[in-house]
Amino acid sequence: MSHTLVSLACHAYGIAAVAYLAYLVRQSDALAMAGRVLVGGGLVLHGVALFELLGAQSGRPVGMAQGFSTLAFLLLAIFLALDVRYRRPVIGAFLTPLAVTVLIPGLLMHGGQSPLPPGVRQPLLPLHITLALLGLAAFAVAAGVGVMYLLMERQVRAKRFGLLFSRLPSLEFLDTLNRRLVVWGFIALSITLATGAFFVASTIGWQWDGKSIATVVAWAVFAAIVNARIFAGWRGRRVALLTMAGFCLVLVSFLTSYDVTASTAAAMRIP
Amino acid sequence: MELVCIGLSHRTAPLVVRERLALSESRQVEVLQRLAQSPVEVLWVSTCNRVEVYLSAPDGMLARERAVSELRALGGDEALDHLYEHRGEAALIHLFRVASSLDSMVLGEAQILGQVKDSFERGQGAGAVRGELTRACAAAFGCAKRVRTETAIGRAATSMASAAVQLASKVFDGLKGKTVLVVGAGEMGELAARHLQQAGATKLFITNRTLARAEALATEVGGVARPFEELFSLLGAADVVVCSTASPVPLFTRENVGAVGKGRKGRPLFMVDLAVPRDIDPGVGTLDWVHAYDVDDIQKFVADNAAARAEEAHKAGVLVAQEVARFVKERALREGMPVLARLRQRAEAIARSEVERTLTSLGDGLTDKQRKSIEAMGRAIVNKLLHEPTSRLRAVGPEGEGNRLAGAAAELFGLLEAEMEAADAEASSLAPVPQQVATGAKR
Repeated sequence: MSHTLVSLACHAYGIAAVAYLAYLVRQSDALAMAGRVLVGGGLVLHGVALFELLGAQSGRPVGMAQGFSTLAFLLLAIFLALDVRYRRPVIGAFLTPLAVTVLIPGLLMHGGQSPLPPGVRQPLLPLHITLALLGLAAFAVAAGVGVMYLLMERQVRAKRFGLLFSRLPSLEFLDTLNRRLVVWGFIALSITLATGAFFVASTIGWQWDGKSIATVVAWAVFAAIVNARIFAGWRGRRVALLTMAGFCLVLVSFLTSYDVTASTAAAMRIP
Repeated sequence: MELVCIGLSHRTAPLVVRERLALSESRQVEVLQRLAQSPVEVLWVSTCNRVEVYLSAPDGMLARERAVSELRALGGDEALDHLYEHRGEAALIHLFRVASSLDSMVLGEAQILGQVKDSFERGQGAGAVRGELTRACAAAFGCAKRVRTETAIGRAATSMASAAVQLASKVFDGLKGKTVLVVGAGEMGELAARHLQQAGATKLFITNRTLARAEALATEVGGVARPFEELFSLLGAADVVVCSTASPVPLFTRENVGAVGKGRKGRPLFMVDLAVPRDIDPGVGTLDWVHAYDVDDIQKFVADNAAARAEEAHKAGVLVAQEVARFVKERALREGMPVLARLRQRAEAIARSEVERTLTSLGDGLTDKQRKSIEAMGRAIVNKLLHEPTSRLRAVGPEGEGNRLAGAAAELFGLLEAEMEAADAEASSLAPVPQQVATGAKR
């Protein structure tokens, strides 16, 4: 049931992506509205599926497939909130295809889930995972916005007044949006790191594996971005590039050992 | 008399060539006086986007050669590679199109008409623009007015200044909360200041070498005037800078703008240079935090939006064609049917003397308003009485039937052949239209 709903949602997102890309070319309000409705509808279906699934798992996504699915859901939820708040549908042309790309592996990997081992059932775990995914989604959106910034900056510098120049939001808007997303993502990542460290320390003891190294380095990168913005007045291209680098690191941390069941079970030597 | 137009514009010549031909007003007058030796008439139109010479001469080729050698002397051999040339009716069409802002960088922008009128007045002042060019300019200004009122072309884009504001919106998310600096309080600076103010700029500083002009503009648009010596401290605070000064050398260089950057903490600066020669050295744009645009960049930007205005431009083109045809027909009539000019001249002279006689006999007891009413009545009687014969003569044209009617009129009104010849010579040397031009080219 939930798989069907997610699949339907994925189709809605796919059509929305086409609508937003068409919007990029022909700036018609009808296309923007279609994209918004499709993403909204998809999120409802997707939300119902996740609620059903996670409800049965004490509120935590299990396995890489559900991780991807939840990530796509959060990414689009952030996008929809931004779209409603700022009315810049053109962002959809960059984020909806990204969300579909994230969701497809989630759909294909369906079926590989196993129940959580009893030892992993920590009360902090749902908070940890949700915040980790929320932070990752915020960084994904920030990285998407960073790509838009770099594209726009290129147009503005090269004085190329083509399609992208006329459609993309102003450099200041993109930079401000990037800053807000990075700050929120950084807060989420900090809490994730703290709860994760606490959780690991209280069960199996801290270990410098690939995941923890990538996460700590990503945290350091984002801490540096936030600091540089506040104290050194960094902005624009440098920050957009750093955001993309930071996002890649968080993504590595997610991909290398998101699978909590497997990694923790292995660490706890649970067969 | 043949009309010749020779010149270069943003369409044919890069900024660096146009800069060389951007002359000060006094130098323009010198050139005009050199070229306009009777009976040749010369109009020198110079804006930041074009330099054009209009010549009305009995020998178009000879006048053209002299204008070309003048342009070569000013702009070098390279300038000659970018010249275009129109003759006869094509030159007339070009003049009408330029005045109507159909050849402008920003299609439909309002400034060009004022600039052509300025050139016209300068030419008249220097004695270079007389009968033929005065009539052509008056008709071109009338055409421009029709284009402005009868098409939407002026509503779509107003000026280079508005294009500059649109460009700023690609760097900043609106001008609210932004500090704007306008350098140069000339016509372009004024337009820029108005557009920036309308776009919501929070703080608007205006600076000019003559502080009084900056103060006058600041009062008008609601900005703050600052002395020119504060230019670089103002630059440190500004988010947007629009400059349009007549400075022959760049005001802003990579070094002096770079020095200001240290205190800005990477805050971006958007600079627009509407001046020719340029106020901002091209090197400034290489600074990481500066986005600098010059008039050619703005042209590129505007060209992109031009498609949207193509339809209005088409309508305007039809109007120009109508107005040119009308002017050509009137000129033919003027040249072919001197009886009309003579008839009107005679009637006006009678009306004038009768009005004067009446006013004298009524003595000093009349108020100004009453005197003006009597004068207006005299003119109205002439116009109404001559309207019918004039339009009938025009309708049939100078040939055949027209010739017969004209002869009859000359006979009936006692316009003798000798008198007509004198009137003809007078009509071609004296312009009957300058008053109309000065009052905005009423049709």
